[in-house]
Formats: sequence, structure tokens, C-alpha cells
Amino acid sequence: MSAAEKAALRESGTPGETSAAASASGPRSQRLPNPRFLRSELWLIFGRRRNWAGLAVLASVPLIIAIAVKINNPGSAGGEFNVFSSITDNGLFVALAALTVEIQLFLPIAVASISSDAIAGEANLGTLRYLLAVPVLRSRMLAVKFTAIVIFTFVAILLVAGVGMLIGLALFGGGSMVSLSGTSLSFGTGVWRILLICGYLAIELSALSAIGLFVSSLTEQPIGAAIAVIIIMIMSFILDQIPPLDWLHPYLFTHHWYGFTEFLRDPVSFGGPVRDGVLNAAAYIAVCYSAAWARFSGRDVTN
Amino acid sequence: MSMFARYPWLRWIVPAGIAAAVLGGGGIARAVVALAEPSLPERSAAQLLVDLQDFKVNGLSGTVVERADLGLPTLPSVAAGSGSTDLASLLTGSHTLRVWYSGPDKARIALLGTLGETDVIVNDGDLWIWDSRKGTATHGTVPSGQHSGTGLPPISPSALPSTPQEVAKLALQAIDPTTVVSTAGTAKVAGRSAYELVLAPRDKASLVSQVRIAIDADEHVPLRTQVYAKGSDSPGFEVAFTSVSFSRPDDAQFQFNPPEGAKVEEQPPAVESAPDASSHRQDSTTAKAVVGTGWTTVLVTRLPDSLVAAVTTGAAPSGDRAGDAGEESQMLASVLSNVPKVSGSWGSGWLVRGKLFSILLVEDGRLLVGAVSGDQLMTVAADPAAALKDTE
Repeated sequence: MSAAEKAALRESGTPGETSAAASASGPRSQRLPNPRFLRSELWLIFGRRRNWAGLAVLASVPLIIAIAVKINNPGSAGGEFNVFSSITDNGLFVALAALTVEIQLFLPIAVASISSDAIAGEANLGTLRYLLAVPVLRSRMLAVKFTAIVIFTFVAILLVAGVGMLIGLALFGGGSMVSLSGTSLSFGTGVWRILLICGYLAIELSALSAIGLFVSSLTEQPIGAAIAVIIIMIMSFILDQIPPLDWLHPYLFTHHWYGFTEFLRDPVSFGGPVRDGVLNAAAYIAVCYSAAWARFSGRDVTN
Repeated sequence: MSMFARYPWLRWIVPAGIAAAVLGGGGIARAVVALAEPSLPERSAAQLLVDLQDFKVNGLSGTVVERADLGLPTLPSVAAGSGSTDLASLLTGSHTLRVWYSGPDKARIALLGTLGETDVIVNDGDLWIWDSRKGTATHGTVPSGQHSGTGLPPISPSALPSTPQEVAKLALQAIDPTTVVSTAGTAKVAGRSAYELVLAPRDKASLVSQVRIAIDADEHVPLRTQVYAKGSDSPGFEVAFTSVSFSRPDDAQFQFNPPEGAKVEEQPPAVESAPDASSHRQDSTTAKAVVGTGWTTVLVTRLPDSLVAAVTTGAAPSGDRAGDAGEESQMLASVLSNVPKVSGSWGSGWLVRGKLFSILLVEDGRLLVGAVSGDQLMTVAADPAAALKDTE
């Protein structure tokens, strides 16, 4: 606790208290995020074979879409204009189609299972006790765990988009991309827009992972936690579909997921749906992460 | 920290506090915005009316949110709500539009949907309508030199006004001795200070209780228009800027080149056929009449015979009736099946009682629309002035 008290002192330090600040600089260097700890957490996520399998499933969707479209070319028949029919014009749309499909279920399930595994999984295996024996503050442990989950979220989304872009460019070629507004975006702009979409979706899914982290801190059953997170998400989807509840919709975290289509317009407006989505995700992360902290740091670990 | 160690439950104050701050903060911020009446020098209703009539902007861009709560039965095709980019869907629910304006001959309106967008672009006499769902671009021409006042595109694909300017203009046209005009202090719209002008019909038969127009204090542009129905304290129809900028948008904003693979439809220029929309309508098979004046004006038109015949011969779906009218009449029949049937000395028909206006479809094909109660509409239907003679 003394290190924490010193840290608190340092933060409230006034110019007159330089000596206190100086003496706190020792513990400070130890308090920097320990890369070793983060690395071991990342190894827990990315080293597991089941997670490899999950990532492989995620990466398979753009491959399936691209190959299916290549084999059974719908052409421009019907005149419908959407991410699927545009694939033949520009391979970049494979990434968009894959993200649009996977954001509905696959990506949230991946994030939900990883985040619910963070604490409940270790408690279930009995490794949480040993982890807590490490002389690290529980709040820092939680921060490292959340950081690792967020990194996984980014990796998962970038994997889907990356595989989609590569297979799309290989099968259909690149070129300029048609925006929703009917203008043509250059290839570079198109790639940049897809990266922006990835970033936006990762922020949105980080809100889900914060919910998962909180639920995970409540239980010792990782499967139960994952199911609970998915139920919360589907409940949010359902509530978002009920018109009389439209006052509630802006508060639902899933309501903003499709805000990524904003990046397909020309010009992109960062003020409207994008800002709302990021603020909403930030609010969910703040509330759920602090709730996870309140639960986890005050919890008695019995097994 | 030591206090947290002794009383672990105290930690829960942190998430609870953040949640309260987020929920309350958002609510308070909105309440403050709503309550904070900017202090502006007094301005009379007449001054505001003049401001409205000759405001000049070099350019503006912004986001407009349109909300309609007209109390209409849900139409099957427009049930998609905010996700839809169909222009007809503006009749129900809430919609977001983005507008760019840079003089009378350069304007663009984009109706945003979840995975689509409909753009109407006017650029130096060219009119483009882009529909991202269908992948179609419709090209037409705008007769130049015929714009008035607001300068927004005169050819609106939907009858519904879609910008505050258009709505305010329509409301002002209705001002004659029938209207009480007053001011209602100031308001904040889209972060800007605005005066509020209130128009209330003198005629108590109108379903409209008042129309409130918020006018920007500096630029005199209408920022928000709300139409209140009688006995309702929330607007039945609202068009408001949620953000607005008065700098001139870049010319590139108005350039439209149909993308590769899009279907381009050319619309023949309608210059010589009709100087305005109303006479254009008379060219087609529909006749029309206007009964009453001011706020209680009732518009009488006639639906195409084929459509009416399909519906009146029992609302049974006539799928075998080949042609493109089949789908339309089927849709009309399904809508009418939810609408109460009424009858009187004028015949019988279907009556839709909306909050702001009523619609009466008489079995002989006449369609009556007005901002009056359904009962009054039936009275009008019996009026000989509303009996449409078939003009050849």
C-alpha cells in the first residue's frame, strides 16, 4: 500500500513537495506497465490452440465470401448496389463484406469468450490464486488483462480486414472504390477508410470486452460468463429493434456498431454517429471497467 | 486506498459514480442547453418575418434531423424506419440528412440510411439523384433562373419539405389574415442562438395548433421548424439542424460523376412543359381542386382509375392484374385494410386520422388531404366544389 500512497502523494504533489516526488520516482519506475506481465497475458490469449482455432474461423469468412463470389459471379445483375455486389468491382469490398457479416455475431462472440475467460477462466482453473501471489496490485493486474483483451480485439478485426483485402485484391483486383454517396474514392483512400472502420469497430467491441471483463469478475464459470455477455449483447440488439423504445436506443452499445458505414460516405463526418459511437463505447468502458475493478480488487479468491 | 481495503464495498461508488455522471451528465447537458435562453436584443415578429424572407447565405453545410410523429398507420414499405433511405420514408420516424448549400445553383442533400444513402445534387443546372441501394443515378436538368428565395432545388423528389428553409417558406406562404404571428423568446439550436417565431392559426378547425420557427440570430436562417398538433405538447413534425456551419462548402462537394457500374437514367428536360409543379400535375390524368383557404385548405385529387378499381373491388389482392400497378394497388389495399371505413351522404371511403392532417380516400377515386379533422374532411367531400369533374 505504501507505494500506492506515495503514488497518490506524487499525483497531488505541489512544487513545495519536490522531495516527496523525488523519493517516489523509485517506485514509479517499477510501476510502469511491466511488459513481461502483459506479454504473459498475451501469451495466454494468443498461445492457446482454441483461440487459434477461433481466429482461423474469423479469417475463414472473408475467404469463403471471396471464393463464393468468384465461383458464382452474380455480376451486376439486378442493379442492387451493396457491399456484396461491389466485390467484383473492387476486392477491398471483401473486407467490408466480411466485417459487416462478422460484426453481427462472430466477432462479438470471439471478444465475449476471450474477455469472460480473463478472470473467470483463471478462477475456474485454479490459477487465479497463484497469479494473485505475484506481488502486483490487483488493479494493475486488471489493467494488464484488459489491455491484452483490447489488443486481441484489434488483432481479430485487423485479421478479418487484412485477410479480406488480400484475398479480394488477389481475386478481383483493386482500383477506385465507390462510396455510399456515389463518388469514387482512390485506392489509397479506400484502404485508409477500411483501416478507420477497423479502428472504430475495435473501439465499439472494446466496450463489449469491458462488459465481459466485469461479468468475468463476478463468476468462476467462464462459459457462464461468455453466455451472459452474449445474452447482454443480443438483448441490446433486440431492444434496439423496438420502435417505442427509441429514447433508449442511443444508450445501447450495439446501437452504434453500424455507425462504421459513416466512413463509407463522402465526405466523412466525424461529428455525428462516429462521435456518438465512440463516446458511448467510452462510457461503457469506464463504467464496466471500474465495476470490474470494484469487484475484482475487493473479492475473496477462494480457489 | 486503505479505506477501500477496510470497506471493499466503497469501491462500488466509483462505477456507480461514473454511471451517474455519464447518464446525468448527458441529461444535464441537454437540460442546460434547452434551458439556457441566450440573451438577444428584442426583435418583433414582423422583423423576424422580414429576416426570414430575405435572408442571404453564401453557403452553409450541416446535419438536419427530421422527426415525424404524424399518427399515421405504419406503411409496410416505410416500416424500415431510420434505416431506410427511401425518400417516401420521411413520413414516419426520424431521419438524418446532411445538406450542403452554396448558392441557388449548387446544393446537395444526402439522406442517410444504415447501409445506404440517397443524394440529391444540384450543380449548375444539372440535377442528380443518386440511390446507393439501387445503384442508380438519375440525371435531369434544372431550369435556371426560376428559383426563388431559398434557392433550394425546386424539384423535390418527395412532396415533403426536407430543409428548415423549405418548411419555413411553406409556412410563410400560409400567412395571411388567418394567422396569429408572435415571438416566443429565444432558443439554442445546433449550438447557435436563435429567435423563435410562433405562427398559430386563427381558424380553430385546423389540426395545427402552432408552428414554431427558430431563426438564427446572426444569419437569419431558419434553424428549426416544429409543427405542433392540437392538444399535443411535443411537435408532430420537426426539422432541425443539429449542426450547422455557414462557411461556403467546397465546390467539389457538388460534383457528381456516376460511378462505374451504376445505372444512369436520363430524365427528359421538363422546361417547356411546365413552369411549375402544379400545372405539370394537371397535364397528367389527375384533376385537382382546392377547397377552403388558409390553414384549413383541403386538397382534392384523383387517384389513377386502375389503382382505385383494384382496391374498391373488394380489398382482395389482385395479383393477376398484370403490370406495375399491381404491386402498388396491392400495397394500397394492405394499407387500407388497417384504415377505418366511413360513409356519408358523399359516398363511402377510407379515412386516415393523423395528428396533423387527415386523408380521405373516397370510393369514386377522390383523395382529400387537409390539416383538418376527419369529420370536416367528410363535410368537404360532400361539397360540390370538391366534386372533381373529369377534365379531358
